[in-house]
Amino acid sequence: MRYLPLIWSAVMRKPMRTMLTLLSVTVAFTLFGLMIGLNATFDEVAAKARADRIFTNARFGGNGMPIAVAHQIAAIPGVKVVTAVSGINGYVQDPKNSAFVLMVDENLPKVFGDWGVSQELWDVVQKDRTGIVMSQIQAARWHKKVGDTFTMISKQVKRADGGSTWTFKVLAIGPDFQQNSQGYIFGNYDYIDKAMAPADQGKIGEADLIANDPTTSAELAERIDHAFANSATPLVTITEKMARAGGDFAGLPIKPITRGIALAGMFMVLFLTGNGIAESVRERFAEFATLKTIGFSDRAVTTMVVLEAALPCMIGAGLGVVVAAFLARQIPALMPPNFGIPLPHISPVVIAWAAASAFVVALLSAAMPILRLTRMDIASALSGRT
Amino acid sequence: MNILRQIWIVSLINFRSIRLRLWRSLVIVVGMACVIGVMLSMLSLTEGMLKAYKDTGDPGRALVVSAGAQSEGNSSIARDKARIIMDAPGIAKAPDGSPMADPGINSGVPVLRLDGRRAYNNLRGFGPRGILLRPEFHLVSGRMFRFGTRELIVGASAKSQFKGMNVGDKVILPDGEWPIVGSFTTGDLLDGQLIGDTETVMKAIRRPAYNSVLVRLSSLNAFDSFKRALTTNPALSVEPMRQSDWYKKISAGFSTFFNVIAYGIAIIMAVGALFGCLNTMYAAVAARGREIATLRALGYSAFPVAASVILEAAALSVAGALIGAGIAWALYDGKLGSFNVNVFKLTVSPALIGMGILWAVAVAVLGGLLPSIRAARRPVVEALRAT
Repeated sequence: MRYLPLIWSAVMRKPMRTMLTLLSVTVAFTLFGLMIGLNATFDEVAAKARADRIFTNARFGGNGMPIAVAHQIAAIPGVKVVTAVSGINGYVQDPKNSAFVLMVDENLPKVFGDWGVSQELWDVVQKDRTGIVMSQIQAARWHKKVGDTFTMISKQVKRADGGSTWTFKVLAIGPDFQQNSQGYIFGNYDYIDKAMAPADQGKIGEADLIANDPTTSAELAERIDHAFANSATPLVTITEKMARAGGDFAGLPIKPITRGIALAGMFMVLFLTGNGIAESVRERFAEFATLKTIGFSDRAVTTMVVLEAALPCMIGAGLGVVVAAFLARQIPALMPPNFGIPLPHISPVVIAWAAASAFVVALLSAAMPILRLTRMDIASALSGRT
Repeated sequence: MNILRQIWIVSLINFRSIRLRLWRSLVIVVGMACVIGVMLSMLSLTEGMLKAYKDTGDPGRALVVSAGAQSEGNSSIARDKARIIMDAPGIAKAPDGSPMADPGINSGVPVLRLDGRRAYNNLRGFGPRGILLRPEFHLVSGRMFRFGTRELIVGASAKSQFKGMNVGDKVILPDGEWPIVGSFTTGDLLDGQLIGDTETVMKAIRRPAYNSVLVRLSSLNAFDSFKRALTTNPALSVEPMRQSDWYKKISAGFSTFFNVIAYGIAIIMAVGALFGCLNTMYAAVAARGREIATLRALGYSAFPVAASVILEAAALSVAGALIGAGIAWALYDGKLGSFNVNVFKLTVSPALIGMGILWAVAVAVLGGLLPSIRAARRPVVEALRAT
């Protein structure tokens, strides 16, 4: 602490240099925060994955499966509850404005209770079967409020009368939740299904279920696959834990990519801060010689240089992480709609990593100047011969 | 003295003295190398994938999918409709007089990536004219599957991403294990996929209808009459597209998505590099204060002095961009990558490198501008007196 005035005057010797270094470090840590924050989100999703939840899809083909499969799965021993998950893809006015209405049966809240959507909201579409519930994000996107009508066009799913226009009444606006950065719209499965053309009726996208015993859910998943292996609809079943474990996004390994980018950002500022501190020490070589002459130990001088390097790094890291947290919240507005990339989460772990990285950058930056200072010949430094 | 000559001379003095300011100058070089290296590495994925899509789509072929289908997978064409489509005008004739048309099937097959993550690969069906329609198809090892038999062939690149994709391996389909009997290359997206006999595959995955019909047009201009014949036929509800347009359509979504991320990250990094550049150039101007003042005293005007500062920043920045592009190129160009079910070669094209250089110039101009103004404006006498 007693070195603080000395360090402060060193840092403020060239305010322009300090400011620019600080800004550059801030930007690098903004990137760092976003990248490592994205990792943190994947880790949290993996940690939050329920051990007893299982996803079942048709093993072959993208056209989903008959709803009968969900009923058959429900009868398999060890299965607590099954929900048929389905939806209509379409667009509003222009094919570019793609929209999706999730079709919900009465079991969905039992399987996805952790979404944090209240039972009353789920019940709304069971009571008034013709309506939908929108999340706040979706309501803002389509400028809808309770009581408005929402009209969507679907080329794939025709109504029973042959039309492709689907009109719903907005019954309620619901809260958003972290797992789904794009928000949601849901309606009544049964009603929407019966409104479809006969050929499209009775189909679901996937069946999701809760196992009675979380410890044997992987084994249950295998049993389900086995039971349907020779049926008309072979399945591929996976526990949520396994599905979320890889940190996988569309086949891209997220962790190595984000870490690589964060590292490139650190390397970029390392050169800048290293150079800055080296110059600052070189300019003040005689001053350091004076300090050593009046009795400052090598350790004291080392501490001063490290702190001088650490000050802009730590402040920049702090600012950068704050900017990253702010930017992360803007991502849904910046991204094209319906691209469900998870949002970076600036968790305490991320902040700790940022602080540690800032300190490492400061140490590496200070290493060379410190080496010079500890080896300096005081007499020649004082006379300005170096 | 002419202004260009002045700029040239001042710049030459600057460049000769760079080695005195080597470390400081390296800040710009390293900064830009990081920005452009990261940017091009990320964009190599979109570039490579777009190229693979482009290579797969042949404007001389047309793909027929059901109306509104967003992928071959969610398109469905019944057998009787496929026969109507294959009798339409505008389709080239095979040597035996039959239409050059092949109804196809597409299905996801659960596989494991090399690192053990679960994924899908694409299983495609070829009918009797599947190869005739694709002159780019060559067998590289093993043999062709036999029609009517439960056998598969695999694209040469599949084994770079997925387990069990070698000749001799077996693939699990609903009716049991199918051996891989051969390996092929087409030089496009099919290189990552599995191919079997359409009818046998359909039986195995219990699919009553085809996904799509691929036809060879009798000429490039025949598409319009082909399309008209299909879209005006009340018995059909299909969407014929040139194969090249089809791949353009289905690649649009992900390329926007990916470019937004790649450019977003590049912009953030470029801002960081910009501050580094400003820092370096301010210091360079300060270090050469007396030199510049001497030149001004000798009659050089302010503009060449300012221009030389920006030129120096640009030279360092472009050098960094080239290093970054070189690293991205060495690491990723030509390397096989994968996004969703697709396997393709990552590409760092000359166009991408050119764009990286433009970015470097832009950052240098922005980062050199204020320091150059300071250099040009500094009173000569004051600068000469400064130590």
